[in-house]
Amino acid sequence: MSDATSPRDAASREPSLSRRSFFKGAGVVAAGGLVGEAVQAAARSASLEPVCMEGTVEIELEINGARAKVAVEPRTTLLNTLRNHCTPPLTGAKLVCDRGSCGACTVHLDGAPVYSCMTLAVDAVGRKVTTIEGLASQGGLTELQSAFCAHDGSMCGFCTPGFVMSISACLESNPAASLDEIQRSCSGNLCRCGTYPQVFEAALAAGRKLRAKGGK
Amino acid sequence: MALDPLRIEDEKPPRPAASGKKWVRVTKAVNGIDTEVWEEVADDSGGPQWGARESMRLISREIPRVDGPDKVTGRAVFSHDVRLPGMAYARVLRSRVPAAKVKLDLEPARKIPGVLAVVELGDGEVRWLGRPIAAVAATTPEIAEDGVRAILATYEEQGFAVTAEQAAADNAPKVNSRGNVRALSKNTDTSEIDKALEGSPVRVKGTWKIPVQHHASLESHGVVVDYRGGDEATVYASTQGTFTIPGDAAGRLGLKPNQVTAVVEHMGGGFGSKFGMGIEGEAACLLAKELARPVHLMLDRSSEFHAAGNRSGGEHQIEIGVGRDGKILAFKARVTRHGGVGQGSGHPLPYIYARDNATFVEDRCIHTNMDSSRAMRGPGHPQASFSMEGAMDECAYAVGMDLLEFRRINLPEGKRELYMRQLERCAELIGWKAHPHKQAPDRSDAEVKLGIGFAIARWGGGGNGQCKVEVRIAQDGSVEVLSGTQDLGTGTRTYCASIVAEELGLELAAVRARIGRSTFGNANASGGSTTSPSLAPSVKHASHNARVALFEKVAPLLGAKASELEVRPGEIRVAATPSKRIAWKDACAALGPNGLSAQGEWQAHLAGNDIGGAQAAKVSVDTLTGEVRVLEMVAVQDCGLVLNLLAAKSQLQGGMVQSLSYGLFEERVVDPDLGLFLNANFEDYKIAGAQDIPAMKAVFEDDPRGVIGMSEAAIIPGHSAIANAIHNACGVRLREMPLTADKILMGLAALKKG
Repeated sequence: MSDATSPRDAASREPSLSRRSFFKGAGVVAAGGLVGEAVQAAARSASLEPVCMEGTVEIELEINGARAKVAVEPRTTLLNTLRNHCTPPLTGAKLVCDRGSCGACTVHLDGAPVYSCMTLAVDAVGRKVTTIEGLASQGGLTELQSAFCAHDGSMCGFCTPGFVMSISACLESNPAASLDEIQRSCSGNLCRCGTYPQVFEAALAAGRKLRAKGGK
Repeated sequence: MALDPLRIEDEKPPRPAASGKKWVRVTKAVNGIDTEVWEEVADDSGGPQWGARESMRLISREIPRVDGPDKVTGRAVFSHDVRLPGMAYARVLRSRVPAAKVKLDLEPARKIPGVLAVVELGDGEVRWLGRPIAAVAATTPEIAEDGVRAILATYEEQGFAVTAEQAAADNAPKVNSRGNVRALSKNTDTSEIDKALEGSPVRVKGTWKIPVQHHASLESHGVVVDYRGGDEATVYASTQGTFTIPGDAAGRLGLKPNQVTAVVEHMGGGFGSKFGMGIEGEAACLLAKELARPVHLMLDRSSEFHAAGNRSGGEHQIEIGVGRDGKILAFKARVTRHGGVGQGSGHPLPYIYARDNATFVEDRCIHTNMDSSRAMRGPGHPQASFSMEGAMDECAYAVGMDLLEFRRINLPEGKRELYMRQLERCAELIGWKAHPHKQAPDRSDAEVKLGIGFAIARWGGGGNGQCKVEVRIAQDGSVEVLSGTQDLGTGTRTYCASIVAEELGLELAAVRARIGRSTFGNANASGGSTTSPSLAPSVKHASHNARVALFEKVAPLLGAKASELEVRPGEIRVAATPSKRIAWKDACAALGPNGLSAQGEWQAHLAGNDIGGAQAAKVSVDTLTGEVRVLEMVAVQDCGLVLNLLAAKSQLQGGMVQSLSYGLFEERVVDPDLGLFLNANFEDYKIAGAQDIPAMKAVFEDDPRGVIGMSEAAIIPGHSAIANAIHNACGVRLREMPLTADKILMGLAALKKG
């Protein structure tokens, strides 16, 4: 299980395992066990040589400002790592489509919104992960979160964390975002209850408050 | 002559009410279909009253949800989010063919390190595509997926029919023993209606095609079964009915129903698809029983599409005869339902209009080897609305009559005033008066054309006596309201608290609503918009009883009779001598350590029934690309006492969004030759997203009745209004959903040819 293997070899040998094994941009072979440093080195490396990792790797992630050590398979998504491997579990980001088409799993990586179901946990090493749980300071609400409450931006609420994360990033860079820009910022998020009109109202209201505060 | 098998209610009660009783219309599931029936109940009109609306503080106001902060911070724990010590994650294997005998070799899965248990589901006979046939529990979901892939399934494939065309063909493989095409009702003598049609100066005839829609709840179906051996279990379920779970789960776990507690703290959408535990719930119980450890089994998205229900599609053949004066002289319909292995929802045609001169020729279903349809928000009504409103519109244009005037003429007597008031309000809100082409499409050379369309809806939305609510007041002054009910995102938890706080003169935050647990009082499942009209009166009754009981305790302290007291914010006082008062905390201290507990049950007079709504849509149609943009949607709805104006507006607008999505985008696509579901994911099965949302306005009418459920009415007419608006814009009449660009371009080309 510890041989360095080219993707083609791996694929021909175990076609059913093709998803588990690959990640791009790494230059190190992980052989199961403690490879946190190796993964970090891999993340820094600009090598384009694809590499096969198997077994369980122990990595250290920076989540909501705190360091978290987790042991995951290299194929484990950041989403499943947050939900299933962190203590306490961070279940705010939701698993809905598991393939980057609904946005319910949105978190911030170095401040930018990403689909955590399309991000491998090993790829998040060395980057700042912010989840819905860490968006506001302890126990509080951001302007956007307050506005979601006031304008009824949630019905069932399953999509809500994803919408809040997507729109937060938009308002962070532009508190004067127009309705059109807000709609674009969450065009990768789906809501089945049809809460969109209230979400837009909330986002615009939060933008106004942020601008009034002068700054973010 | 009018055989109307889908008539959903009798207009009058069957006989006069007995002494002390009265008749109310309640919505009940009859053969799995929500149906309005008359029920004789105790005349409780003398009980608690909602009181004057202008004096309300926390009811019929814009009240932010009490669980809003939990939902926006990720703290809200849905069933998917439950994490327990030693919990195993499970996945299901689905049949990859629609009809087969299946043999499974589970051993390869069992050999994978981390796989904990594998169970077979069903009896080896597969009758529909995607039926779960095995389930794997493992230490991680990834390993459970490995396990699913490792199971060796040997299919002895049988002939199948996955589309209605296939199933109705001669020599089609038999989907079931009852026959693929099944008449549910039939009227063999159509001579009278045919004669009326022949004598009608204007006739419209057509076939409307309705695709299969999916509920597409973001939280998929599933449960977490917390069973660690022994004689009790807790089942965390994503369900619309807390009390639909314990019995089923107990059976699978070998326990008694009262040894199983169901918990539904938050749930991520159901829309009619989440009653009972389902195959996935049974699988989780079997695995948990074998392992004696907690099992988390939530369907993945593809399984959710394949095996968790859908809104039945169908085909409506309609023929209408109209007089020159605009009066419908004859209506004839033949309905075919496409409900997979199920029979689909009844499509109540003629819908609202033209009830007097109608004949239903046949109502039939065509079975296919696909997952059974389930109830979906307003079952049958959005389908019926699409063809009926389309046909009505066609008739109006054909006789050259104003769209609203034509509807007025053909509305039933008792409903005319209501719907015309609502339609005219919609017309006003959407700018119908100034619209340049009301009785014909835009015939100009403009590339992008604007159109407006209308449609109406009706629903029952009455309650029933299946709720038992408890209100507790503790010695320290804290107040709780307890009910086993579930909050689907409608705001149930919030109005439970606000009704109690209103009654007791407290702030909303002073009342804690505890719901979603089968150890609390019984509550009906959330179907047919029956939750609020059943639950809210019961909460009111319990809080009224709590207040009366508290007054009894406090009256001696104030030297007055209980009947002389009243609540004011934060205190109780003697109504006639306001200086005689006692603060809330001091009053509760008099209760002693046992506090106070009061029960409440349904009060028919606090609920209402029978609602109507109208919607209008304004669209633009790009005649070069066929692209439709919905620019504006408006709705006017009655629903009795609105419990929370903020949440109700969200519900109504949410219904409009779902309706838009149904009209423009949604359709299950199946490959008839390969027997595959081609778009079982959110890229290829499109639902409305942020950039599809028009400007919206939702108006509630001032309606003096009690509480009525409104949610289903909201989703019924929107897509029909959009289809009608497309015709008004460009002249293309689409009788098939979804209303996509290709169909519009084909229609435009056909118009050009003449």
